[in-house]
Amino acid sequence: MKRRHFIAAGLSLAAATGARAENGPVRLRELYNKDLSFSDLAHSLADRRITVSGFMAPPLKAESTFFVLTNRPMTVCPFCETEAEWPDDILAIYTKRTLDVMPFNVRLVTRGTLELGAFKDAETGFVSRVRLREAVYERG
Amino acid sequence: MKKIALLALSTVLSAGTAMAQDINQKDSKWFTDAQAKIQEMIARQPNTGRARNVILFTADGNGIGTNYAIRLFAGQQAGGLGDDHVLPYEAFPNLALVKTYTTNGQTPDSAPTASAMNTGVKTKNTMINVAETVNVGDCNAVAGNELTTFAELVSAAGKSVGVISTARITHATPAGVYAKTANRDWEDNTGLPEGCTAQKDIAAQLVDAMKAGTVDLAFGGGRAHFLPEQITDEEGKKGKRTDERNLVEEIKGLGGQYVFDDKTFAELSTDGTNAPILGLFEGSHMKYEQDRTGEPSLAEMTEKAIKALKNNENGFYLNIEAGRVDHANHDGNLHRTLVDGVAFAEAIAKADELTDDADTLIIVTADHEHAIAFNGYCGRGSPVTGLCYEIDDNGSKHVDTPNKGLDGKPYTVVGYLNGAGSILKEQADGSYSGTRGDLTNEEAMDPDYLQQALVPMLSETHSGEDVSVLAKGPWSHLFDGVIEQNYIFHVMNHAVNAELQGN
Repeated sequence: MKRRHFIAAGLSLAAATGARAENGPVRLRELYNKDLSFSDLAHSLADRRITVSGFMAPPLKAESTFFVLTNRPMTVCPFCETEAEWPDDILAIYTKRTLDVMPFNVRLVTRGTLELGAFKDAETGFVSRVRLREAVYERG
Repeated sequence: MKKIALLALSTVLSAGTAMAQDINQKDSKWFTDAQAKIQEMIARQPNTGRARNVILFTADGNGIGTNYAIRLFAGQQAGGLGDDHVLPYEAFPNLALVKTYTTNGQTPDSAPTASAMNTGVKTKNTMINVAETVNVGDCNAVAGNELTTFAELVSAAGKSVGVISTARITHATPAGVYAKTANRDWEDNTGLPEGCTAQKDIAAQLVDAMKAGTVDLAFGGGRAHFLPEQITDEEGKKGKRTDERNLVEEIKGLGGQYVFDDKTFAELSTDGTNAPILGLFEGSHMKYEQDRTGEPSLAEMTEKAIKALKNNENGFYLNIEAGRVDHANHDGNLHRTLVDGVAFAEAIAKADELTDDADTLIIVTADHEHAIAFNGYCGRGSPVTGLCYEIDDNGSKHVDTPNKGLDGKPYTVVGYLNGAGSILKEQADGSYSGTRGDLTNEEAMDPDYLQQALVPMLSETHSGEDVSVLAKGPWSHLFDGVIEQNYIFHVMNHAVNAELQGN
């Protein structure tokens, strides 16, 4: 990449990141490129508290502090399928407080610290590539 | 009789005279196009040759309504208003309406509909290529009630057989080519009920079919059903089998070729080999075309399959499914439905390009429709995934004002009768209520938008509404009127067995 392009890309990224605060939450899909690598935006927001909009997939277990945020409502019960059926573009959410389950098709916004990289949940065995820690959420 | 003939002749003459002299609109393009169509229809000759090849295209869940939406979408993507667009298969000369009900379902699922097309008889929902007398899930009743498939018939006659799906290759529609099961969900051994010995799981049946030579090529998703649970596949997903069998290795052991992504697919040899070819591109379903990465498109799989199967001078039967038109409809997400629909159309165009109408019967149909519905009164060019705009009384294209309901809010061109997009949401007390959102066109056209729906459900449903069948090639003129879905098999079977002309 030529230096000029690099600077231009950096500037537009900064503009996009700056605009986030004003224009509302990040869409979950914006954290991924089409090839499912993390987007520049995701890298730029790593370890920061961000707000992401999406849907709560039916939780894997009750009385939990963990759920999966999906880009569109999960129309298939995850209990009926295994992890292979999860969409690729999901965000694992670790909440501050025990979950208050939301309907699968109600858009919510969740705020937490973005963490990139593989992590296996000791309790559920769920492997996530990206997650929010210390998250809170509400209807979007 | 003679008098009637004379009378008819004079009517024709007077109509002809009137056309030349008295019809003010005779130079309108609508008029001249229709006149040209009349001449085309008069000149049409049926193809009564023997079909060397049969290609059966199914877009799962692509009934009349869904197909109409694909037409508009494709036309609007091409820069037009959409409704006058002609999808490649809509130019095929022959068609019929298809009744898709099953022996116990006013609304079908994809298992008995695939059975109908592959065996010539209808059966119960959930079952594949097993007689309707068997109860769903009654494994041991399968023995003696298996139906003979088109793949078995044509492979016995020396043809090659291929099956392609963007869904799991063990899913109902592709399984209809090679499997016989009392339950479509028995995709690997873990699904089989205890003590079930009268049939194998669906993935194991594909291996048996490849060993027997009743299937020569299979492309699709569903890798997890072929691998043991201890194995992690090329994309990091685990297998599901608990019987210690690695079916991929078994296929390779037959001297077969195995590919798993777009790169290995590109290297696949299609040179004169009848060795089995297996492409499994995902652990589960292949990706929606909207999200596709690292996998071949349906058109690319179609092209590769035809090139491989063409090496058999006796011809082939190729069953191709756009499996995820159905899934996106189930999601209530029209955008992905239509993007996959366009990919389906591109695959058909590719197959048509690579084959000869003289010896290849191409059939394009669907297994069933969905609970998709259309609003009015939209002006021309209203984006099919967006808002329904008012008609322009002074022109063709819609005006910029969206139509609104009595609630003062705009609505989309397309909605669903049920599904995840329901405006009735679950409340804290467990009841369901809601109002329609104040939607913008930009929001509605977002690729992830779910069209508004009525009945709240986890997944949008199929419907029993008719689908179409469109066809070209030998004996395609046998498609006419309103037909039962199982009749499709009989046209295929007649076409491949017809007496060669001159014999």
